[in-house]
Amino acid sequence: MLRLDAITVQFGGLTAVKGVSLSIGAQEVVGLVGPNGAGKTTLFNAISGLVRPTAGRASFEEADILKAPMYKRARMGIGRTFQIPQPMHELTVRQNLLVAQRFGAGRVDEAKVDEILSFLHLSDKADRDAATELSLSELKALEVGKALATDPRLLLLDEVLAGLETASKRSFMKTLTELHARYRISILIIEHDIETISNLCPRVCVLNYGQLIADGTPQEVFSDPEVIRSYTGGGHD
Amino acid sequence: MTALILQSLYSGLLSGGSYALIALGLALVFGTMKIINLAHGEMVLLSAYMAYVMENRLAVNPLLATPLALVVACLIAVVVYFLVSRISRNRELNSLILTFGIGIILTNAALIIWSADIHSTSAPGFQEPVVLGPLYSMRSELGFFVASMVLVAALWWWLSRSWYGRAVRAVSSNRDAAKLMGINPHRTEVVSFVVAGILASVAGVAIYSTGVIQPALGASLTTKAFIITVLAGIGSIPGVLVGAVLIGVVEALTVTLYSSAIQELTGMALFLLVLFVLPNGLFGAARRRG
Repeated sequence: MLRLDAITVQFGGLTAVKGVSLSIGAQEVVGLVGPNGAGKTTLFNAISGLVRPTAGRASFEEADILKAPMYKRARMGIGRTFQIPQPMHELTVRQNLLVAQRFGAGRVDEAKVDEILSFLHLSDKADRDAATELSLSELKALEVGKALATDPRLLLLDEVLAGLETASKRSFMKTLTELHARYRISILIIEHDIETISNLCPRVCVLNYGQLIADGTPQEVFSDPEVIRSYTGGGHD
Repeated sequence: MTALILQSLYSGLLSGGSYALIALGLALVFGTMKIINLAHGEMVLLSAYMAYVMENRLAVNPLLATPLALVVACLIAVVVYFLVSRISRNRELNSLILTFGIGIILTNAALIIWSADIHSTSAPGFQEPVVLGPLYSMRSELGFFVASMVLVAALWWWLSRSWYGRAVRAVSSNRDAAKLMGINPHRTEVVSFVVAGILASVAGVAIYSTGVIQPALGASLTTKAFIITVLAGIGSIPGVLVGAVLIGVVEALTVTLYSSAIQELTGMALFLLVLFVLPNGLFGAARRRG
């Protein structure tokens, strides 16, 4: 479904992502982990179109995506959330989803929007102002809802659990597990918490200094000496 | 004295309505592209000259110039957008320089074509008085105010109810997040410029119908629109309306109570005072608190 081939992203003299190649299959759930500054969000930015890779190729469902602008990638079926929720000011929660659906999926289906709101436990907040009347966990749910409204086949979740207290985090994890079962989409998720990622993802990829250093099951990856070194400050070889 | 003050408030309300129409165009473009179009006043100015040309060359009612003014203002808007969108670095600053330059070119073009002379309409009926109890205005002033309010309401409806209006608001709110929702930001930017052109064209024809025009008017209209936009709090349409009426009323009261010589000065003083107390503008602060 998604194929990255030697993706490199440089900012001036800094190489944020270095020759990353990976594939994600249909309905696969993959965790993307790594220490701070490893290049995880930059890789998300390269996939979603926020930054242009310096080198490499990327395709989604066999179509080259690197030449497509960000909004076209969203229409192609690549949904994404931001680490810090970005609700649309002065639009209600429902309107946020409807606008995402109208432009991202190219249609308006209010029943589907209501279904997403209900699934994300946002039905009672549907007519509230999205920017000012939601808690952090609700804002995170809205972020996921906006992405779901575009009818994605691949969902990129950038630290969607970050900042949530334990109970909200547990509840959100359950929602994410149900999301995958219900919508049958591929998910690539960035998350720092190893236990969370191990519970959510049958497959984990590890980035360190912009390079992919491990790719496998959570057990394989988190027992890999290079991964352990990257987390304990062993640094770059 | 009370009657004079009441009349000033009424006159300020009417001129504030027209200021709002001009400021909304500027605010809309700022919202979507985060640039201040310093040639916005000149778009209004050229629309006003279209009305002058129609009346003096073709001897028709200046209001009939509205379609022509609309085409001219929208063409300028699209050209400005095209040029601004080509700026790849430091767009906020460079677009100021670019649009300031475009404004100077348009002002000088008006100067060459129509000279520095002051022009006003001589169409019958425009300056007839409309008396509402103790309040007096010209028929054209009242017409301009009503047209402004209708357009502001239409803009409000468009922004809140139509899909493209919502897309414009989404891009204004967060450009990258809007792109993730599948919104083409370039299209919404063009749409914003064209809508600003439509507002400018109506404002231009109305300004010619209610007062006097001359080439230097464009720059002062841009300044006024900018003051109102910042005074309101960037991105707030109700704020623009309130800010415009406030400026209009303060100017009218200044003329009545003191002198028209310092009319612009008091507007500027009010602007500085509000920014000193509320740095985010009248409605910007409320939005942030919310």
